[in-house]
Amino acid sequence: MELITVSRKGGMAFDVSVGRHHLTCDMAPEDGGAGAGLSPVEMFAGSLGACIAMMVQCYCETCGCDGDVGVSLALELLPKPKRIGAVVVDVELPRGVSEDRRDAIRRVVRECVIHETLRHPPDVDVEILTDRELRPDPEPVGAGTLELRRN
Amino acid sequence: MEKVQLGGKDIEIDEDGFIQDPDAWDESVARDLAKTEGVDDMTDEHWKVVNYLREYYLEYNMAPMIRKVCKTTGFKLKEIYDLFPSGPAKGACKVAGLPKPTGCV
Repeated sequence: MELITVSRKGGMAFDVSVGRHHLTCDMAPEDGGAGAGLSPVEMFAGSLGACIAMMVQCYCETCGCDGDVGVSLALELLPKPKRIGAVVVDVELPRGVSEDRRDAIRRVVRECVIHETLRHPPDVDVEILTDRELRPDPEPVGAGTLELRRN
Repeated sequence: MEKVQLGGKDIEIDEDGFIQDPDAWDESVARDLAKTEGVDDMTDEHWKVVNYLREYYLEYNMAPMIRKVCKTTGFKLKEIYDLFPSGPAKGACKVAGLPKPTGCV
């Protein structure tokens, strides 16, 4: 996987970059941003939705149904600590997928990487980098130079 | 807190337009709140969601989970958002006169 970088665009907007792909992430105006892109929480939910959609699309195509899968999501936030308390997901199957595939599709949804990750939270290992690590002082002007001038 | 005219009454709202006193709510207040959410015409489908939210809130003193709203009203998630573009929390709860849900998305 390529390095994912997040860099400031201005205000509360940040560019999320992976290789040649870029996404703008911003806060909504009512939360202090300019609404120039998805909020981090929306991006998180969108990631889950896309993962589910791709997995179910693959499954449907394997079953001979190549119509379009659709996914709708909504989030419920909880306070203290502020977090996502529930994710509600509707998966819309293409025409022709029979009722008896419902349980199999439910398993496919549960096995998508993002869903599995939510069920088994990963360690998040954070290092805080300050000026000292990021921009070490340049070598001081050497004493030798001064000595040369003296000579 | 700001006071605005809703349903012919002066009603206190917060900065996001949620009414502060659930007892001040009635159907004409709901219609005016709906207009602030871009819903000019409250259809039977709108009322089905709003009435369920209201009944649940009055019984449990909290808003129902979104999935419960879908299951009880029979609307899919997308249909709820078609009815209330701001969603069940910010849109439908506001029209139903419930307190502002915690958090934001």
